[in-house]
Amino acid sequence: MAKTIMVVDDSASLRQVVAIALKGAGYDVVEGSDGKDALTKLDGRKIHLIVSDVNMPNMDGISFVKAVKANPNYKFTPVVMLTTENQEGKMMEGKAAGAKAWIVKPFKPPELLDAVSRLVLP
Amino acid sequence: MNEYEQAQQTFFEESRDMLRQIEDALLALESNTHDDETLNGLFRAAHTIKGSAGLFGFDRIGSFTHEVETVLDRLRAGEIALNGDLAALLLESGDHIGHLLAETADGSDQPETDAAGAALKSRLLAWCPSPGIGKVAVSTPSAPAVASPERPWHIAVDFGPSIFRDGMDPLSFIRYLGTKGDVIGVTTRIDAMPAADAFDPEVCHLGFDILLEAQCTKADLTAVFDFVKDDCELRITAPDAEVERWIGVLQGMPAHGKRIGEMLVNCGAVTQHELTRALSTQQDTDGVAPPIGALLVAQNSVPDQVLQVAVTRQRDQRTEESRFIRVQADKLDSLITLVGELVIAGAGANLLARRAGEPRLLESTQVITDLVEEIRNGALQMRMVQIGETFNRFRRVVRDVSRELGKEIDLEISGADTELDKSVVEKIADPLMHLVRNAMDHGIEMPDVRTARGKAPGGLMRLNAFHDSGSIVIEVIDDGRGLDRDRILQKAWERGQVPANTELPDDEVFDLIFTAGFSTAEKVTSLSGRGVGMDVVRRNIEALRGTVKLSSRPGEGTVVSIRLPLTLAIIDGFLVSVGPASYVVPLDMVVECIELPENTPNGASYLNLRGEVLPFLRLRDVFGIEAPPPVHHNVVVVRNGTSHAGLVVDRLMGEFQTVIKPLGKLFRNLQGIGGSTILGTGEVALILDVQALIDSATRNAARQDGTTTREHTAESAFGDAATSSTEN
Repeated sequence: MAKTIMVVDDSASLRQVVAIALKGAGYDVVEGSDGKDALTKLDGRKIHLIVSDVNMPNMDGISFVKAVKANPNYKFTPVVMLTTENQEGKMMEGKAAGAKAWIVKPFKPPELLDAVSRLVLP
Repeated sequence: MNEYEQAQQTFFEESRDMLRQIEDALLALESNTHDDETLNGLFRAAHTIKGSAGLFGFDRIGSFTHEVETVLDRLRAGEIALNGDLAALLLESGDHIGHLLAETADGSDQPETDAAGAALKSRLLAWCPSPGIGKVAVSTPSAPAVASPERPWHIAVDFGPSIFRDGMDPLSFIRYLGTKGDVIGVTTRIDAMPAADAFDPEVCHLGFDILLEAQCTKADLTAVFDFVKDDCELRITAPDAEVERWIGVLQGMPAHGKRIGEMLVNCGAVTQHELTRALSTQQDTDGVAPPIGALLVAQNSVPDQVLQVAVTRQRDQRTEESRFIRVQADKLDSLITLVGELVIAGAGANLLARRAGEPRLLESTQVITDLVEEIRNGALQMRMVQIGETFNRFRRVVRDVSRELGKEIDLEISGADTELDKSVVEKIADPLMHLVRNAMDHGIEMPDVRTARGKAPGGLMRLNAFHDSGSIVIEVIDDGRGLDRDRILQKAWERGQVPANTELPDDEVFDLIFTAGFSTAEKVTSLSGRGVGMDVVRRNIEALRGTVKLSSRPGEGTVVSIRLPLTLAIIDGFLVSVGPASYVVPLDMVVECIELPENTPNGASYLNLRGEVLPFLRLRDVFGIEAPPPVHHNVVVVRNGTSHAGLVVDRLMGEFQTVIKPLGKLFRNLQGIGGSTILGTGEVALILDVQALIDSATRNAARQDGTTTREHTAESAFGDAATSSTEN
């Protein structure tokens, strides 16, 4: 059965492209438009990996990761954060919150797939 | 419209929304500059455009928006304040992003838009003065060649207890390694596993020993574990070939001012992460901290042998540094020029003293002359450098090229401490490179061919240097197949360089290789074989007043000998005159001076020197001097390497130190003249290009004799030439 990846970003176009790339590689995709929206979709379904932006309205990526790690159903789900190169401080914060994998924006779809495939193979 | 195009469409719409948001936010901020939420929204909008543009590969939009984002980031951090100018600039930048979006959507990129973008960019850059704000350039260590998988990589990894909680699956890394090469063995380490009742399923106690066959670098493999690098113990043991490569890189690396850690990271033996870890261990140590190298070895980051090479390199460099003073080359050059002028002025004073005939004056000028000579030698000595450094560069070349060619070639260096002028060293590196590559490509055979011929499978290149009668000789020696004399001659016949079916002595045959466009290679390789090069090599060497000769034995190898003068600036000369003109022969090349036998016929071009043929030239004829000839002619016997000739002159005027002044462009193609100098009297004397004159004399003599003069003795009718004086 295909593995499911949740993509959380406030940019719809970014979500779409990431979804196309992930689906093309054989993953299922669930989208969330920000941290708050994504949390509502963690409704007990199996999620194998979460890819999340850091800077989002309503609920940012760091708070979202903290919420995920506090949820017994999802605390073992690996999280890949999307960041920009000048967010060193955020990166430390995120790592402390439990997001160990980081991808620097802007990235190309193959780079994302490469990172994802280190954690979850389709 | 497919899915991807739909996503692009979404991007354009979304970005236009973002631009509107940016505009609104900027206008709002102008009245109320410290609204964090608005600022954050402003930054986020630019950030989103940049991120998505990058994903779609719209680099034009992405790179421009990056600059805007950088300024907004500083604004958000409170490093700069929003004023009217900045707001105007940001609004303009927003419009520009709008243009870029429109053009990208239509696929109609306008060059003018890029020009406008560049102008805006430079204005934006003015708002972020520190270069550190922009994109940080990631330096990748140079690691060109990769190891062949003779022995596998050994990766020992112990995962930290928290990685399950972080959602990491240890197995996923092993699977991912499989995309880098062949995982040929995995052993699970369970020694850290606690007793069953103390078992916590959320805590990881696992470790793996992984054997991997892969063509990759240590940095590649470390990158696989990037996501867990802070939570695991990673020890990577490289295959022998990779270790050898590191050592090779270290040996070719200039160690000047570098730290051990830096050298090890640059050669690829240690990753930045390993170095950072060792450095923090070093800092945390109380009391005397162990050296960084020892820590790296202790944490299994680098084999001891590699460390020792780095340490030796660094120590060599340090001791060299303490023994040497670095001086700007310009300063030395102007010192040499001044010494040259001093030499000329000294010669002038000496001449006047001799004319005055005052013994005490003569004595004091003699002392000055001696001192000037010492100063000259000392000044020239300062420019002398050992050729070893140039030779050492070839270790890397030989290593890389032999791998590329699939040959096993070792390099042996001798005479590395032989010294020669710095300017000569610089100019000889290129010709040497060509000769070495040529020898490796064409000279040395493939291992199987060598074995079949009863040689060791590995070839040997040798670079050798030594001093010989005022010159330095550099030899490039290989033990390859040697030159195919017959094929070269055949080719020369075909090209019409040599009249068909004319035989030539070996060295003249080998000399043909140096003519332009000559190649006997059957296939053109990336390295050589196009027939360009050897003529350039010879030209470069001749430009240094040097000569190049080949000798070769079929099946045993080839020796290329380059003979170069020790210095280009000042020489000891031998002054001669013909009629009113003075000429200088470099003293190193003068063998002896004899009187021309009176019975020598006028048209003769060789004479008998104690039973040997000596071709000669009358400088009077060569340079068209019409002054009445003297009663007795003198012959200066000159030698360059193994060839001899006589130069017939009117008067011998003795030894003389001279500064070589180059001839102008106009005289560059003049045959037989190598430069000029100024005599003590202020008169100009020309410096003879001895090799060219020897060649010309040999050719004349050969033409007169009908065949080569080499094996013949002179006709006895000339009688033995009387030896009048002997030099050198």
